[in-house]
Amino acid sequence: MSGRAPCVVSLRNLVKRFGATTAVDNVSLDVGEGEFLTFLGSSGSGKTTTLFIVAGFEDPTSGDVLVDGVSILDVPPHLRNIGMVFQRYTLFPHLSVFENVAFPLSVRRKPKAEIEAAVTDVLRLVRLETYADRRPNQLSGGQQQRVALARALVYRPRFLLMDEPLAALDKRLREEIQGEIRRIHQETGVTVLYVTHDQEEALRLSDRIAVFSHGRIEQIGTGSDLYNAPRSAFVGGFIGNSNFISCTVAEGGNDRCAIRMPSGQICAIRGSSPMATGQLVSLMIRPERIGLSTTASQAGPDCAIKVRICEATFLGESVSYKVTTEWGQSLAIREITGKSQDVPLNSGVDAYARWHSADTHIFAT
Amino acid sequence: MESAKAFRVPRRALWRAGAREASPAFLFLFLVFVVPLSSLLLRSVTDPVLGFGNYEHLLSDLTYGRVLLNTFMVATVVTIVTLLLGYPVAWLLVILPTRVSRWMLAIILLSMWTNLVARTYAWLVLFQRTGVINRMLMEIGLIDTPIPLIGNLAGVTIGMTYIMLPFIVFPLQSSLAAIDPAIMQVAAISGARPYQVFFRVLLPLSLNGICAGGLMVFVMALGYYITPALLGGTSTMMLAELIAVQVQSLLNWGLGSAAAFILLAVTLALYALYARGLGLGRIR
Repeated sequence: MSGRAPCVVSLRNLVKRFGATTAVDNVSLDVGEGEFLTFLGSSGSGKTTTLFIVAGFEDPTSGDVLVDGVSILDVPPHLRNIGMVFQRYTLFPHLSVFENVAFPLSVRRKPKAEIEAAVTDVLRLVRLETYADRRPNQLSGGQQQRVALARALVYRPRFLLMDEPLAALDKRLREEIQGEIRRIHQETGVTVLYVTHDQEEALRLSDRIAVFSHGRIEQIGTGSDLYNAPRSAFVGGFIGNSNFISCTVAEGGNDRCAIRMPSGQICAIRGSSPMATGQLVSLMIRPERIGLSTTASQAGPDCAIKVRICEATFLGESVSYKVTTEWGQSLAIREITGKSQDVPLNSGVDAYARWHSADTHIFAT
Repeated sequence: MESAKAFRVPRRALWRAGAREASPAFLFLFLVFVVPLSSLLLRSVTDPVLGFGNYEHLLSDLTYGRVLLNTFMVATVVTIVTLLLGYPVAWLLVILPTRVSRWMLAIILLSMWTNLVARTYAWLVLFQRTGVINRMLMEIGLIDTPIPLIGNLAGVTIGMTYIMLPFIVFPLQSSLAAIDPAIMQVAAISGARPYQVFFRVLLPLSLNGICAGGLMVFVMALGYYITPALLGGTSTMMLAELIAVQVQSLLNWGLGSAAAFILLAVTLALYALYARGLGLGRIR
């Protein structure tokens, strides 16, 4: 985040320990005004604990949470002025949709007319204005989460926390509500901290994504940053599909270096960090960055290895291949149809898999 | 629609089969409950003369009226005090780690399993003029003369509250445990102060348990005998004592039966009110 943009939320070296386990391990990040930032990680990666610390439901072992530059650790949740949507359905079952959405304003003792206007507005925003008199148990899961979103927005909180709000919904509904969330984010300009374990959801919604693993942020950046320039094998493997090949460095160097494939073949690659000769590394290539050709001469100058086609699946806009290398490893390759002149290769055929050195990523193991 | 229709036939058959298995219990209840109750009802309108004289007598006589009033007052006070004391206990049982709450539960159950008369006599030992409590208070100089703790409403209330506490804790615990903690969290983050979370979310959502437990304690307290008899005095006589005196000492079966029926009628009326308010299906 550049220094000029004002920070709504800043996490400073947050640590949370539960007994011997460290759930959150030195997490620092800044969220800008109007930004949609997603914590992405598998369960137990510390993303939800971090969110709960921001909400005030957990106290950090050490570190600080700043909102507009002021620490809020001593502020109880009800005074933090944060909106929150939970993973589970949390509408008050004894109140109607209208009363649920009015709850935050009613506990703030706002005048009746003001409540009425604000609730009507926000119900219109989530497109549920005709459901005001329903009870929560008369709504579908998706509608319940939209009401929960309306309830979290109605008092114009400083920012919004969303803890896997779509996890309980089925896939079609999830995509529909992702669209709703994106629209609402654009219409309101509210700052959002979002938690999910679904990388597609993170890519679809977020301005920036923080990838969590073992309580730490592995990498933080835009979706294309994470996809095109992963800083670790974990991020490379977590975002999108990828092939990993274990290699050794044949010739170290700062800019370009050469690695030895398991077959003994030497390949030139783009070195992202200085590497020592003989070091064990992991080479990562995205399936769509690998091309297939029938002869070595077509392969070009960069790198080509001999493979056997195991499986070819025609998927319309692309063909998905599963190939086996000389050392028995299975690789995934995806070729856009129409782009290559070759007709789809049949399984059992020998071919050359080739790639540009610029498309490879190399990680120390 | 069709599946519901198809389901109805075997369900009726099942019910019939179940009725057969349960018939010994029904027969038992009929012989030892319905038959004596009916004869009691009959007695209340025939003994000593035919008519509603016993009921008239009970409801018009000032002494009996006071006993009735006293019964309802004690039951009301005990129910309210038990609710106030039991609610935090039930809440603790829900939020404490299982290991701790299991111990708490065991302690509550242990007090339930101790003999009722023994427990009531224990209060007698503690409460009497020269009892532990009075002597301790005098020792620290809080009082000069012993305060009367038995033979009055205070003693009866304390003794009965202590006995009724588990009966309110368990229904409350089950209704509180059914509330998702995230609902309280969402109320807090929405800006509700702790007392607002309690009165606007927790209390309405546990109303079911409050009513179930409250009704149970109220009804039990209405007909309570041992504790008021031992810890209370003549001025705090309750209906059950009145019945005992009428039947045992005065052999006035008719009046005793009528008093018992007034108690039963009030209980049934309260139950009907509760069932109508919350729906019969929710009673656990």
